Amino acid sequence: MTPDRITTSLFMILRMLLRRRIVLILLAVIPVVFFSVVAFTTPDRKVPFRLSSLDGNIFIAASEKQIALVFFAVAVAGFLMSFLAMNLIQKNSKINRRLILCGYHPLELLLSNLLALTLIIVLISVYVGLITSAFFHVSHPGLMIFSLALTGFVYGGYGLVVGSLVEGELEAILLIVLLANIDAGWLQNPIFYAEAQNQVIIHWLPAYFPSQSAIFAAFTDYSILRASLASLLYGSGFLAFSMLIFYLKMRIRK
Amino acid sequence: MILKADNMIKSFGNKNVLKGVSFSMDEGTVNGIAGENGSGKSTLLKILVGLWKADRGNLQINGKIGYCPQDPLIFPQLTVDEHFRYFAAAYGLKKHDWQHQREFLLEHLNFGQSRKDKVEILSGGTHQKLNLSLSLLHEPDLLILDEPYNGFDWETYLRFWEITAQLKQQGCSILIVTHLLNDRDRFDNIHNLKNGILE
Repeated sequence: MTPDRITTSLFMILRMLLRRRIVLILLAVIPVVFFSVVAFTTPDRKVPFRLSSLDGNIFIAASEKQIALVFFAVAVAGFLMSFLAMNLIQKNSKINRRLILCGYHPLELLLSNLLALTLIIVLISVYVGLITSAFFHVSHPGLMIFSLALTGFVYGGYGLVVGSLVEGELEAILLIVLLANIDAGWLQNPIFYAEAQNQVIIHWLPAYFPSQSAIFAAFTDYSILRASLASLLYGSGFLAFSMLIFYLKMRIRK
Repeated sequence: MILKADNMIKSFGNKNVLKGVSFSMDEGTVNGIAGENGSGKSTLLKILVGLWKADRGNLQINGKIGYCPQDPLIFPQLTVDEHFRYFAAAYGLKKHDWQHQREFLLEHLNFGQSRKDKVEILSGGTHQKLNLSLSLLHEPDLLILDEPYNGFDWETYLRFWEITAQLKQQGCSILIVTHLLNDRDRFDNIHNLKNGILE
């Protein structure tokens, strides 16, 4: 493994991503559309809700609009990251194999892809976090951005798994939209969650811990440590699985 | 001898695709393997370049391989120059080593005017030129080409043979795998692959 190969690959990957029109359109349009819909349609009335990861019957009161903004920020970060990660791995799979035949080690390509994803996670979380903060006073903006990065990490890992396993682009997009919509875009909404009949299923979905962390950061002074660690663990599972598939697909049988 | 394949066998389930393929190549020769669709060409080629492993048999290659796939495996969003840089890193080449070869390839295949352009806006013929150039960037000892003329216009086809002659003179061996062999007099050896057997 040489740093020169990894940095060359990293710069090429970033160039490719930023030159894809669909990537720029999604980055610009998705947050604006989601937040505008919330801003124009959700009422400002205060709603008390209980956070499932807090012990006991502790209720938090926040405006319905603010809750929706935080919840949609998580959904936006999750959707964008999973889409970009899937796109990155799936699109270049055959060309990556050629690069490996020419001398790249699969781990060098993997590492450069992961570094590129890390940079994009940071970019998206800061961007979405700043937009959220522009709409209302977030209690801990830094932790809010960190929580969105956790969402990006978990959903980026999911995107990598989908991109490594599924060959068809349409099928892969469907899998991403389906989970992002159902999980981050619906079930993790604390207002829905409070009344849900089967909360155990919701606990096991990928956006659960990052959502809890984001809501803590946005509205409370409670520690996000437990939710953050659980998010990291969840995302690491996806990451390890996708790395294994990538390595198995990319290795050369000499 | 640059390449020696001995009794190579490959099966997929019950289907025997290669049934004991043996052949060899000397330095500085142009060799062709021709075969119809389903003859086992692609399987043999994937084994030769290292993508697959034969079930049985020996393969010995002495030197650097350059592999030019049939469909251009290139990045649509990168420019021609960026491709050279990316592949130079893959081959582990030093800057002054590959830049000279890049200029040679751009000039001889006549696509220097497109070096700053993103691949997605270039023609199919230029894709094929870049595809070929990337396999030649590290000045290989053995060049393996899969249906190399697809998308070439007449002028590029002639230039391709000029480069081939030049490579041959430098001691590079060339293996062309194709379903249709023209210009048979340009080859030193021609093998026909039929139902997994080399004739």
